[in-house]
Amino acid sequence: MKILIKKATVVNPDITFNADILISNSKIVKISQNIRERADKEIDAEGKFVMPGFIDMHTHLRTPGREDEEDLLSGSQAAAKGGFTTICCMSNTSPCIDNEGLARWIIDEAEKIGLVDILPIGAITRDRKGRELTEFGALAKAGCCALSDDGDSIEDSAIFRKALEYAKMFDLLIISHCEDRSLSQEGAMRESFISSKYGIASIADISESLRVYRDIEIARYVDARLHLAHISCAKSIDIIRKARKGFPRLTCETAPHYFLLTVDDIERGGFSGNYRVNPPLGEKKDTLAIKDALKEGTIDCIATDHAPHSFAEKELPFEQAPCGFIGLELAFSLAYTQLVRNNFIDLSNLVRKMSANPARILKLPLKGEIKEGFVADIVVVNLEKEWRVQEDNLFSKSKNTPFLGQIFKGVVEYTIHRGRIVYKNE
Amino acid sequence: MEGWTKKHIIALKDLSRSEIETIFSIAQNFKEISQREVKKTPTLRGKTVINLFFENSTRTRTSFELAAKRLSADVLNFSSSASSLSKGESIIDTIKNLESYHPDILVVRIGLSASLEVLKKHTRASIVNAGDGKNEHPTQALLDMFTVKEAKGTLEDLKVLIVGDILHSRVARSNIFGFQKFSSTVRVCGPQTLIPYEFEKMGVEVFYDLDAAIKDADVIIMLRIQRERQSGMFFPSIREYVEKFSLTPARIKKAKSNCLILHPGPINWDIEISSTLKERLHPLILRQVENGLAIRMAVLYLIGTQKKDNENTN
Repeated sequence: MKILIKKATVVNPDITFNADILISNSKIVKISQNIRERADKEIDAEGKFVMPGFIDMHTHLRTPGREDEEDLLSGSQAAAKGGFTTICCMSNTSPCIDNEGLARWIIDEAEKIGLVDILPIGAITRDRKGRELTEFGALAKAGCCALSDDGDSIEDSAIFRKALEYAKMFDLLIISHCEDRSLSQEGAMRESFISSKYGIASIADISESLRVYRDIEIARYVDARLHLAHISCAKSIDIIRKARKGFPRLTCETAPHYFLLTVDDIERGGFSGNYRVNPPLGEKKDTLAIKDALKEGTIDCIATDHAPHSFAEKELPFEQAPCGFIGLELAFSLAYTQLVRNNFIDLSNLVRKMSANPARILKLPLKGEIKEGFVADIVVVNLEKEWRVQEDNLFSKSKNTPFLGQIFKGVVEYTIHRGRIVYKNE
Repeated sequence: MEGWTKKHIIALKDLSRSEIETIFSIAQNFKEISQREVKKTPTLRGKTVINLFFENSTRTRTSFELAAKRLSADVLNFSSSASSLSKGESIIDTIKNLESYHPDILVVRIGLSASLEVLKKHTRASIVNAGDGKNEHPTQALLDMFTVKEAKGTLEDLKVLIVGDILHSRVARSNIFGFQKFSSTVRVCGPQTLIPYEFEKMGVEVFYDLDAAIKDADVIIMLRIQRERQSGMFFPSIREYVEKFSLTPARIKKAKSNCLILHPGPINWDIEISSTLKERLHPLILRQVENGLAIRMAVLYLIGTQKKDNENTN
């Protein structure tokens, strides 16, 4: 199968240029002006932008355990529609991904579906309890791209240190969810004037930044790779910015809602359960700090933290609703509309955040860039087109997003995964 | 009532000064009726009021129950301990099921802060907040204010001091919003551990020293120390709390001589307030209970007799 993309504006992590792209047998074989070769399928990309397929370092696919909320098929469809060609699914399933059998099963099932690559993130500790290490070697061999206990930070600093040390033997990336539970407790929103005004159980930003600092110090001490998940506040960014100078093995991500929404939106949204997320939404100073950090490179990636939840759970009052938003189908449009249209970052930088940097951090070969010889994971987007987020135009089984009803710019026209068109906007 | 437009009474932060004054003038009438031989009025005959209590309460629930009965409404008491919530039914399903009885008013007590904005979408009935988590307890604040107005003749330009566990108090929040609408100054005082984050932004003066806070106070609202909430994290001992924050005869001397002392009850004597003040407080506490009934009758009346064309407002 050969695909020829004509008159593409190619956006790579470092440069944007016009060219045709020839894809053959899952690889990008040729990039140049006016390719005249015959292809099985020609895509006229004039006026469109062509980018390396997005890579989501933080997805919850709820499989196994809560297939009513998302399964590997609906998650793959949602990913493809959002322009993602690789997604990394978090370990907090039920049972959790703490063994090679389950990791292998997810990869095999994803292959059968064949829409996007699904790479499991294995648990660091058995049953994510923070006590005994999982078999890192077996998990790596089974295909886990990283290890994380996801929603739970490892409380015991000695175990966290040993995990980082042990992971080095397999060159495995440890992803850390930074939260000091003794501070956050049962909190439901960021501690702020709004939480005080309404008496909502609150979480101080230092609950994140303290754990960011601990995790960095331990990783630096043992010289291990560490990736910090969903950074949400200015205080964490100050710590990360300083630490990165002498410690390049440190990387981190944020999610679109942390630069788009604040505690004020929770109040405006009438304390709907759809606004609850963990880490909680911050204040204006946090969204500004995150945008600066994305611009200057202190934050490497924009991940989705795609967290499907059922309707019945999310319709509950704010303090009772579970945490998280869906994001696979929204992330690009949200980031493009908020960051690029408002001139915080350019398109190439957005490609770094959503494709190139995740590929580099996860050490995924031949991904994250449009280059001859690379895997043909490609997304074609129309940046002028708008779309409205509606329950009936989302592939995800769950519809829990505070952006329902809102209009964003940037529509994915084609998603090509390993040289096959896996999504086409009709 | 002519001109009344609010469908729900959820928060004092959402009520205007003139709406509060309307409630007071209606409450005044009901207070008089309650002193008559025949205490019942037919105003809500045929209406159904459900007391929907997801959290324990005796005082507030009985007050609402009697208020609804005096207005001739049919009253159903629903409490979570006796309900299917213990079987895992969600709060929203419970409200939807009760909807089949076509209630006109739901009086809701719930442990979840700011949850009524969400719950009101699941019922056609009006909602009266009988306490939502740590957010608001509007009828308690209204009865406090009504009692103050009765005693002082005004709610203007008073110095109102609220003492104790502000962090967990819906009564404090509602009173702050209420008194501020009448240009009164509100001070809060308690251990620093029990004052919410950035609370000065509420427009209140924050004190940690009761002897300083009490100076020239016209009204003191003493909050109950919820001993079940105290884990040793907020203050080390009752003894030390009493030392710093208990209202004693010596401390009261620093307030205005005609200072009014209120307490939402039930009182932990010799913790919040010295029992030597029992004689002084008792008549006021009884008046608060009596006024509470009148306020709740007024609220139910205003909402229950409202024209149906306001169905979809607020």
